Amino acid sequence: MAFEWIIPIVIQIILYFAIFLIVTLSLNIEVGYAGIAQFGRVLAVLVGAVVAGAVPGRILAYMMGLPWGADYANHLKNFKIVNTINVELLVKSPFLSVTMLLFTIVVAAILGGIIGYLSSYPALRLKEAYLGITLLAFGDAFQTFIWNYDPIAGATQGINVPDFFRWVGAGPPRFYAATATLLGFAILIFLFMEAIGRAPYGRALKAMRDSEVAAEVYGKNVASLRGKTLIVGGAVAAIGGALWSLYTGSFKAITYNRLTWTFWPWAFMMLGGTGNNVGVLVGTFVFSTVRTLIYTYKELLSQIIPISPVWLEYILVGSAIVIIALIRPQGLIPEKPALTLKKEEIIEIREKIRKSTK
Amino acid sequence: MLDVVLTGLAISSGFALAAAGITMIYMSTETFNFAHASMVSYAFYVVFIMNLIYGGSPYLYIPLAAIVSGIIGVIIYFTINRWLIRAGATMVVLMMSTLGADLILFGILNSIAEYLTETFKRDARYFLLAEKDIVVGRIGETNIMLIHIVSLIVVLIVVSAIHLFLTKTKFGIAMRTTVENPTLAKVLGINPETVYIASWFIGGALAGLGGGLLTLIIPGEPRIGMVIIVPLFAASIVGGLYSIFGSLLGGFLIGLSQQIGIYLLAQAFGSWINAYKLIIPLAMMVITLLIYPQGLGALPWGKLASKLGRRGGEESGV
Repeated sequence: MAFEWIIPIVIQIILYFAIFLIVTLSLNIEVGYAGIAQFGRVLAVLVGAVVAGAVPGRILAYMMGLPWGADYANHLKNFKIVNTINVELLVKSPFLSVTMLLFTIVVAAILGGIIGYLSSYPALRLKEAYLGITLLAFGDAFQTFIWNYDPIAGATQGINVPDFFRWVGAGPPRFYAATATLLGFAILIFLFMEAIGRAPYGRALKAMRDSEVAAEVYGKNVASLRGKTLIVGGAVAAIGGALWSLYTGSFKAITYNRLTWTFWPWAFMMLGGTGNNVGVLVGTFVFSTVRTLIYTYKELLSQIIPISPVWLEYILVGSAIVIIALIRPQGLIPEKPALTLKKEEIIEIREKIRKSTK
Repeated sequence: MLDVVLTGLAISSGFALAAAGITMIYMSTETFNFAHASMVSYAFYVVFIMNLIYGGSPYLYIPLAAIVSGIIGVIIYFTINRWLIRAGATMVVLMMSTLGADLILFGILNSIAEYLTETFKRDARYFLLAEKDIVVGRIGETNIMLIHIVSLIVVLIVVSAIHLFLTKTKFGIAMRTTVENPTLAKVLGINPETVYIASWFIGGALAGLGGGLLTLIIPGEPRIGMVIIVPLFAASIVGGLYSIFGSLLGGFLIGLSQQIGIYLLAQAFGSWINAYKLIIPLAMMVITLLIYPQGLGALPWGKLASKLGRRGGEESGV
């Protein structure tokens, strides 16, 4: 095939796009819809990733009679245990793999939801930047904890994650399957977010964001709306974290930092359009593509610009944030009012009203 | 124990100065400045680069570091902050825009560090200038370094200078007026623009001063600012966000509790607890925000506090 070189690039773009779409959508429901300054997105993502690292492997180890307590996370034993699980159990059993994958996602979502519920304590008491800084502190504190406390997920040595895609085959097929799974979840979550965004719940959120007092006057319970949003956002972000951890096949707390999992999604959301899921999709896609192209052509690029691509990425994302804030605060695709009926029907009704009032 | 206290005090001085810078910028422009991280890092690199090229004591270059960070602040004001304030941007957008500026500055700083490492064949991505410090005395087994004394003197000078500036000079009083009531200040013929520029410069300079002092205590790396920005925010918030002196106090509280608190905890529970050092300032900040949102600055400090441009805690927006 003449275009074989393009496949890894496309796969890479899809991969980044899928994972960041999930996380950015979870951020958008909290920031864009509900107006909660979520600067601690990394917290729920990290929870999901820890679940993927700590829970399914232990269950499978227990089933096989291997050590599953604090021993499981010991880095000298962990890779052997996980390897045994992968080779002796998961390769042969697609059914078990898929079941465990779904189970992991569900557990991650539940724990992410609980984290969201817990963050509603400060979220109901603090406003704007104060809340943002508090949530940021929660994220950093939890990362420090996981990074240092080894019985859960191996601390600085990290932990290996059982490979639920191995039954497809080693090498490229495994990565294609994992990428397809991530994309599948991203699409499902996108449709889910669109649905709840258009539902009365989503519209109540926007009303609350624009004027809390007005929303309360119309009988909306602001505290409960905020709580629910944090639960949904936390659950979705945790699913993202779990999927990423399952894809990479290993977990290390240091890779779940506030830069990649809080600030990057903020930039994607701002670029696409805050409060608008389609905008988030576009913003994430643009960034994923640019990022992949920079990394693919880094040698060519370093001849033109004498800056290493890693740092170029920071400058690029930073400039994007600044330029959007200055020139186009509404993003590439501005938020539109959610239409509950089809456009034609609304026009029809409007005509009817006009006729009847004449 | 004495060396822990001395180092704790020196680090706290750096934190206090930089946190006062965050408060300065927040008070006048309502901007939570994430770029403070880079301002601190750039101060580290100004001292490091000047020392690398011209040699001599690192102390000589601390004033220059303060000026460079102050200029960075003014540049951020003119390129970003000014237009957003005019457009009436929300607090979150103001905060995000400084994050964008911080990422740009971080990328540039890393490129500079890489260039330095290549050109000077010396690791510019991790350096320790503390070894260039001088021993000025001994108490028992503990060496007293020059920085232990200089840092505290600098804090005292800054405290008195800010006090005099805000209470005795015309411009300082104009600044306080603008913070208290921008509309009224405009009516009285005070140009808020100059006040904003001044607070960005002073805020940046304080970050540079704090960072410059810290170069003689802790190792420098490009991400140093990103690491200490969280304790800095913590100090500023614990200090109440509307009081420069509160934030200086908050800096000492956060710095000392982190350094000495963790030392005492490690004595009691074992050295494993050292790894959780970062959690102490975070916990203190969260507790302050949730239980006593007015912060230290709003405590009745008597005559001193009421004189020094303090704004009531009930207005701190929490």
